[in-house]
Amino acid sequence: MNEEISFWILSAIAVLGALVAVRKRNLIHGVFALLVFFAGLSGLFLLLLAEFIAAVQVLVYIGAVGVLLLFAIMLTERVAGDDDRRMISRGWSWGLLAAAAVFVVLLLRPIQQLPSQDAAQPIKPSVEALGHKLINPYVVTLEVLALLLTAALIGAVTAAQGLRMPKEEDSPE
Amino acid sequence: MSFELLIDILIATVPLMLIFATVFAFTTWLERKALARIQNRIGPNKVGIPCTRIGLFGLGQPTADGIKMIFKENIVPTGADRLFHLLAPILALIPSMLVLCFLPLDFPWLNENSVKAFLLDGAVIFFFAITGLNTLAVFMAGWASRNKYSLLGGMRAVAQMISYEIPLVLSAVIVVMMVGSLDAAEIAGEQKGGNWFVFYPWGFAAFVIFFIAALAETNRSPFDLPEAESEIIAGYFTEYSGFKFALFFLAEYIAMFAISGLAVTLFLGGGDGPGLAVLPWLSVIWFLAKIFALIAVMIWLRGTLPRLRVDQLMGFAWKFMLPLSILNIFVAGFAWHAKQLDSQFIMVITWVISLAVLYGAASGLNQLNRGKVRPREYKYAE
Repeated sequence: MNEEISFWILSAIAVLGALVAVRKRNLIHGVFALLVFFAGLSGLFLLLLAEFIAAVQVLVYIGAVGVLLLFAIMLTERVAGDDDRRMISRGWSWGLLAAAAVFVVLLLRPIQQLPSQDAAQPIKPSVEALGHKLINPYVVTLEVLALLLTAALIGAVTAAQGLRMPKEEDSPE
Repeated sequence: MSFELLIDILIATVPLMLIFATVFAFTTWLERKALARIQNRIGPNKVGIPCTRIGLFGLGQPTADGIKMIFKENIVPTGADRLFHLLAPILALIPSMLVLCFLPLDFPWLNENSVKAFLLDGAVIFFFAITGLNTLAVFMAGWASRNKYSLLGGMRAVAQMISYEIPLVLSAVIVVMMVGSLDAAEIAGEQKGGNWFVFYPWGFAAFVIFFIAALAETNRSPFDLPEAESEIIAGYFTEYSGFKFALFFLAEYIAMFAISGLAVTLFLGGGDGPGLAVLPWLSVIWFLAKIFALIAVMIWLRGTLPRLRVDQLMGFAWKFMLPLSILNIFVAGFAWHAKQLDSQFIMVITWVISLAVLYGAASGLNQLNRGKVRPREYKYAE
């Protein structure tokens, strides 16, 4: 019963956050609405007893991705767009079709197969189990991902340094 | 929801809020007194019991401040984003309050069967995830005020907090590695009987890094650039007054308690201390006393050290703290493997090698960074 009430509240928060994030013209409002959506999602993970995923959801999506989006927005020019213009483009019917296709292909079968059962039994030390999984069977994947991220980091540093070079000539006078 | 469950939840959570809110009031008084003493002043000494001349060393000052804050006019700038201006102080307070649940405080009225505030497998990870939300609140406040000084303060705060979060988490990783658990209660339990992690070379280095990063995370002096009054008025809360300002103040102090509490859990043995075998409830007292000791050091540093410059702040985080904390992880791994051998001689060798490596790395990084910080160049002034 309690879980059901929590589920509906959290789902409402998540759906509302996502809707506001899509509909708002003001970018900062949009980002914060998106963060509300992430927070609702992390609450849903908690409800599913996946506490580590909930923590990572908060840490990575709200903490890191949110701040990254805010930084990117601060570099753009017109943050606050006018709310009067409607946010519907001409190709909206195609978008709706694509969304419906994704829903049918990806989600319809799992939802039909979903048994109406209680929440899963708690796995005792879930974080520990996850750690063992990451180190034992998936260690190569983990290392490859780490290598990819390092390469991306070096690339970002190189790109940032390349931008600065031609600015040396003009003095700040 | 059954009535008993509700009562249990209230018993688990309400004392946390009451204790820390009361301690907050006392800490503001303590801080003003201590700073005054350092600066050769008297500090608050007038407000005591109303309608009498009994001063009580100014202990009534927090109450008077609170009453003043509540009745002060709430001013919102014309161009401000009214909704976000209202939400920012609330968003600043909620994460600071929430993370108090993860501290392993064994209240005597809680037994094995009662509802714990929040007993999680990954308490440490949750702690860092939720304290990270403070950054967003600060940015929100700076942006919503529609004031260039607020925005500058907000941007400074975001840059500073995400830079110092890395050494903070990396030094906590060392303890998690040594214990093999993310559970705060288990980490505190591992240090029972004076086996505090701060007494090991790697633990001491991690504790120092953690404490410095925690100062920066909570915007305390000497890292209080987001609210540097000589440069950007009051930074992100320039445009706040009345109760919203008080909420920011409260959030900052609760965050200080929370991060000190995590430092106590990770490095200073949690509720460990003498006399626990006779009186088990002493553990809460020890825990709070250790938090207070750390807070006292923070106040002392605020009275003693000048504020850093922005380039110094970033350089310190990325060029000194980050390499040192990564190296410390290797040292801790080495120490862990040496401990498995279970030999007195190897332990001594490990201690000597760890101390030498950490000291050498710290002084080497210091040498490498020396001379890199140039004197300030004035672009728009002479």
